[in-house]
Amino acid sequence: MSLSQKPIKKPKIAIISLTSCEGCQLTLLDLGEKFLNFANNVELVDPEFLKEEKNSGEKIDMVFVEGSPMSKNDEQILLKLREKSKLLIVLGNCAAMGGVPEIANYREEKQTAKHLYKYIHGVKSEPVKEVDNFVKVDFVFPGCPISAEEFIQYFPLLWESIEYGKELPKISDKSVCAECKEKGIRCFLLDGKPCFGSMILGGCGATCPSSGIMCQGCRGLCSGANVENISRGLKNMMTEEEFENTTEIYGLRDDIEAKEKIMPL
Amino acid sequence: MSNININHLRKIEGSAGFLASVINGDVRSAKMAMRGRSKIIEGVLIGRYYKDMPVIAERICGNCSVAHNIVSIRAVEEAMNIKVSEEAEKLRKIMMAGHFINSHSTHLFFLSLADLLNIENDLKLKDDYPEEIKMALEVKEYGMEILKIVGGRTIHPLTNEIGGFKKIPSKEEIKSLIVKGEKILPEVLKLSEFFRKLKLPDFSRPTEYICLEKKGEYLAQDGDVVSNKGLHISADNLKNKFHEFQRPKEMIKRTKGDGKSSYMLGAIARINNQSGKLSMCARKYLESLNFRLPDYNPFHNISYQMVELIHCVEVSVKLMKELANSEIGNALTKEYAIQEGSACAAVETPRGTLYYWVDIDRRGFIKNVNIITPTAQFLTHMEDDIEAFVSKIEKKEKMENKMRAFIRAYDVCANCAIN
Repeated sequence: MSLSQKPIKKPKIAIISLTSCEGCQLTLLDLGEKFLNFANNVELVDPEFLKEEKNSGEKIDMVFVEGSPMSKNDEQILLKLREKSKLLIVLGNCAAMGGVPEIANYREEKQTAKHLYKYIHGVKSEPVKEVDNFVKVDFVFPGCPISAEEFIQYFPLLWESIEYGKELPKISDKSVCAECKEKGIRCFLLDGKPCFGSMILGGCGATCPSSGIMCQGCRGLCSGANVENISRGLKNMMTEEEFENTTEIYGLRDDIEAKEKIMPL
Repeated sequence: MSNININHLRKIEGSAGFLASVINGDVRSAKMAMRGRSKIIEGVLIGRYYKDMPVIAERICGNCSVAHNIVSIRAVEEAMNIKVSEEAEKLRKIMMAGHFINSHSTHLFFLSLADLLNIENDLKLKDDYPEEIKMALEVKEYGMEILKIVGGRTIHPLTNEIGGFKKIPSKEEIKSLIVKGEKILPEVLKLSEFFRKLKLPDFSRPTEYICLEKKGEYLAQDGDVVSNKGLHISADNLKNKFHEFQRPKEMIKRTKGDGKSSYMLGAIARINNQSGKLSMCARKYLESLNFRLPDYNPFHNISYQMVELIHCVEVSVKLMKELANSEIGNALTKEYAIQEGSACAAVETPRGTLYYWVDIDRRGFIKNVNIITPTAQFLTHMEDDIEAFVSKIEKKEKMENKMRAFIRAYDVCANCAIN
């Protein structure tokens, strides 16, 4: 066989769900033919590989994790995944920011599992924590759910970083606000309506504002944003309670509070 | 289309560890243990403002997010006594039809087909049936297109809200969907012919089939709860009639009927109870299957999903034509008053009736919420079926394939079961 006919090396990848709605995986499936083409150019490793003994076999190239670790079992899976993969990449808001389940962190005792279930085996009473509290995360696909187009766009760059030792890619630091401007969507703020878009990382195509909904920040803060100033402005349009409630939905509240601590008024 | 690899999809879906545990599970007792990975969504909802209800509730399950979106919104509207326009109701029915088309076609063509054909090698499936797979993708695409245009996106819809729709499709968009729907119908019918040839296991166990009934509607978004055993109550009464129970070590609130027996829902229940309400082509296809009703073979649920897929394509086109000739603008959200109240909403979704009870205080905050998903309801029934099935077969070989067939037939949704 001549060199030119040598088969192209396919990346070995696995997609694993921790506690989540599995919507990020489904977003990929919804790509239809595009996804089938993608799937054909990778080697999808069966999640069964986790059961293999420690350090046996070579590492797989990339594992994609969606959801947050909400049980001891989830935590163990996560540690094993890190050990057995070259890159650990998280998919979506739950894994990256805690997601909707993180709302429970801000709740009183009566709204926890005890209130709903007679038996609460395997449910941690500790706060919900994002994946990076347990293992090193190499790359984040943000959003609730993720943008499938973005996945297809960044996947080859992730592969190149493994194959050719290139630097890991970064999602361009552009706000949702900028995307609204590009798409010609009328700014909510102009009508005195709150919107978090100016402090939030774009790349979603301003999906929510396009449907008439303010950006609630599922993709997380964009690094260049003046969070402190924007928050102050938003609090003129909504009560403190509304501000807190909105930022709790996608686990944004703790990130904003952390920024405010660094830069006190 | 040369690069299709069906088995990949199955590997992804199989990563929901639950399915693997069923397949490798303890066959003798035919019981399944679902480990606690609850997102405690009901608990998260308590104390939240009513507007957050669909946003949070739909995140119970990415697969069924459209169903959770519609039912949670209806529950809040019932509780606060908000009436929405006929046009908004129609848009929701179209959304639900799109959800059925997307959900059933994914399940039928991408998750079940290889199993039903007993094809282990996915390359063979691709080589043998390239035309069918191409059509199947187009059908799924049509369902998703409806969801994108009407709901804003396919997973976690955006436009539908309490009181109506935040944003509505243009007449041009509706018309383009009608064209697509009319084009897709012959393809669905071709696929249904292909599905007819598949061999399903022979097994029967008389049971109770429960679904919603409303005059003139095959897939009701409200109405009474009925069964083939004479049950006929309002959805709100269901809570008194059925009770939830939980087994140690699993985070599922299961339900059982009065007689402490399990019951079945979803496509097989709806066909058994009200096949007369199906659209024309769907009814013709059903008749051509030559299954005698009442049909107690749980494996036929797959064939009935095929019937419903035809029905939903026909109905979506019909509803969109009606909408194109009406004042779509009426579907936009109108002003309403926030009121104290509690109510139940029940809606037919791909896997069966989904129930939401909600209790809202006078400021609009959620006091209590209870969600009963289809999978939580039929899980016990599935176990009873497995038990009966296993006791009847003599050769205990290839059990894994047989258990897989059960999962396929039931279209289990693990995320919804453990919400």
